[in-house]
Amino acid sequence: MALPAHIAATPAGPASRQPVYALVGNPNCGKSTLFNALTGLKQKVGNYPGVTVEKKVGTAYSQHGQPITVIDLPGTYSLAARSPDEAVTRDVLLGRRTDTAQPDRILCIVDATNLERNLYLVHQILDLGRPVILVLNMMDLAARAGLEIRVDQLEKLLGIPVIACEAIHQRGLIELKLAMSRADLPLARHAWTIPAAIAPAVSEIAAALVEGDRKSPLVARAEALLLLTDQDSVRVAGSTPLSPRTAEILCAWQSRWTQTGTDWAGTLVSSRYDAIGALAAEVVQLRTEVGPSTSDKIDAIATHALWGWVVLGAVMTLLFFSIFTLAESPMNWIDGHVAALSDTIKAAMPPGDLRDLITDGAIGGVGGVLVFLPQILILFFFIGLLESTGYMARAAFIMDRLMSRVGLNGKSFIPMLSSYACAIPGIMATRTIEDPKDRLVTILVAPLMSCSARLPVYLLMIAALVPGERVPVFTKVGIMLFMYALGTVGAFFFAWLFKRTLLKGEPPLMIMELPPYRLPGFKDVALHMLERAWIFVRRAGTVILGISIILWFLSAYPKAPEGATPTAQLAQSFAGRAGHAIEPLIKPIGFDWQIGIGLISSFAAREVFVSTMGVVFNAEASEENTAPLRTALLSAKWPDGRALFTPLVCFTLMIFYVFAMQCMSTIAVVKRETNGWKWPMFQTLYMTGTAWILSFLVYQGGRALGF
Amino acid sequence: MIVTSRKMNPALQTLVALVLVALAVVGLIGRALAKKKSLGCGGDCGCSSRAIKTKARG
Repeated sequence: MALPAHIAATPAGPASRQPVYALVGNPNCGKSTLFNALTGLKQKVGNYPGVTVEKKVGTAYSQHGQPITVIDLPGTYSLAARSPDEAVTRDVLLGRRTDTAQPDRILCIVDATNLERNLYLVHQILDLGRPVILVLNMMDLAARAGLEIRVDQLEKLLGIPVIACEAIHQRGLIELKLAMSRADLPLARHAWTIPAAIAPAVSEIAAALVEGDRKSPLVARAEALLLLTDQDSVRVAGSTPLSPRTAEILCAWQSRWTQTGTDWAGTLVSSRYDAIGALAAEVVQLRTEVGPSTSDKIDAIATHALWGWVVLGAVMTLLFFSIFTLAESPMNWIDGHVAALSDTIKAAMPPGDLRDLITDGAIGGVGGVLVFLPQILILFFFIGLLESTGYMARAAFIMDRLMSRVGLNGKSFIPMLSSYACAIPGIMATRTIEDPKDRLVTILVAPLMSCSARLPVYLLMIAALVPGERVPVFTKVGIMLFMYALGTVGAFFFAWLFKRTLLKGEPPLMIMELPPYRLPGFKDVALHMLERAWIFVRRAGTVILGISIILWFLSAYPKAPEGATPTAQLAQSFAGRAGHAIEPLIKPIGFDWQIGIGLISSFAAREVFVSTMGVVFNAEASEENTAPLRTALLSAKWPDGRALFTPLVCFTLMIFYVFAMQCMSTIAVVKRETNGWKWPMFQTLYMTGTAWILSFLVYQGGRALGF
Repeated sequence: MIVTSRKMNPALQTLVALVLVALAVVGLIGRALAKKKSLGCGGDCGCSSRAIKTKARG
């Protein structure tokens, strides 16, 4: 059946402008992989749903070298958005965004192993009356699953180019680029008969959208259909509201149907599924019956009620074991070279402020953080592997059982898992959560997951807590696992508390797709790991260097009288005075004013604590030789001669860092995501308050027990 | 440079050190103000929120 006349025309775009393609598809169907393959960018990819939560823009080049703009949009199962990330996709495609021009053409990517389910979104997109190219991704996996997809038949039935592709192996890209370069991209022949009970409403709403909302006729019909199935409760920044006239017509129809007991949304959805079922029956054949797939066999153990936890525990243990064992040699190498550099400069320069700034400030601060680069690399290598293989989604599935007891679902766990790397992408990943209260609870607790910035603090404290070569590595692994588990348990506890007090709501049902296991894309994993390493090094060379230099000044000025000891100099410096000012507050948790300086400075970022300790305790080092920071900490004393960094203090300090909200960037992102200062302030207070209370209990309890 | 530095007297060292401190303050303030516009992490965390510009050719 032909399309209605008002949408059968090819949209005319300005001839001078380069074509703009929107890249859309279901979650985890390979959009970002294809985006990277087309644009040469390194957008983050992962084998789990919800990796992309914002639109990304890149430029691809046709076979003839002409630039083509490609917008990678968050994955969605339908244009009826249920969460903020899905609303971004809907609003861009419908031209509702004031900050993004409506794309001229749409690149619709589907997972060939689940063609029928993916076709629902395709069906809605074809309604938009824009030129569409359909990309059947993961054709290799479909073949392995015994599926035969008749690509030519699908192309004939839909009337649009259909490209078979394996984005991860870069197969089918040439054909795709050729199709993208076509000036005469055809419009879909596909059409779908709207149920008779709904059709008049669609026409009336579409007409109102054209007149009142200035929608093009091409979009108005699709938008009208969507308004009837979409509750439109999700609004994101940039979306334009409906005109009062359109809203009035929509309400009138909905009231009429409510009175007559017509399930308008259900009728539309069923009708669409019927059309898709008929289409799929013609193009998909199960060539061979295959038994349980390898993924199913692995999942029988990996998602088992008991063995699933054992596997998760083993994976985490392996991760931390690797961090401690594999990283030791490169860490000692960096440590040695940092100390040697410092000593060389001390030997080459006469005493003075510049020498002290370079050795105690810049090298002490930056070197103290850089030494943890090997551990950061190993952490991100493992996170990359887990994401790439698809195990991350299984971890969320396992955790869902636990999370449902605290009132959250597994969808909240993906942002929380991301927060192990950094709370900021974790908080942004909450955009996949439909319920605003669940989303807010997840935002509030996500920074409790131990991020990579805490890793240097934990490692330094563990080194001070259990020094020496004779301590079994599993003791260190156990302490590290405990800190990560403590943050996770803390997050669950506060989620439970908030869901029962501040943000009451029904426990949500989790519907999550478990992607098939895939062999890790080592190139992607390595690139992601190197990217993170570069970010870590760049941060050390910019923010931490700047803070270390300022901190050196604050610890070196005002100058103490000639002949004063380094401790006396530090004590009467600006930093020392600040540390002394908060000492009454932190003394009950076992910290002195020197640690207080670290607590204050690390409000900028947690790892600054390590660089601060480098600056503060390098002041204690000898004039000629620089001791490793771990050794310097162990020789630090209270004025009465007691050791400062006792095992109990080190442990308490880690507990403090598990819970304290010490990251300005996270506070800024929470402010942006919650549209105000109320929740970030609340979050800072509850987290830091909890950190103090627990540290107090641990320290005083430990002392009472004789530690 | 290190050889040159050997000749630096304490007063000159103090002056250069204070200039470096001032530069660090200016740099960090500039960075903080630049971030204010987007209220994000500014890319330090590795999250994927920044607009992407590409020079790649496929």
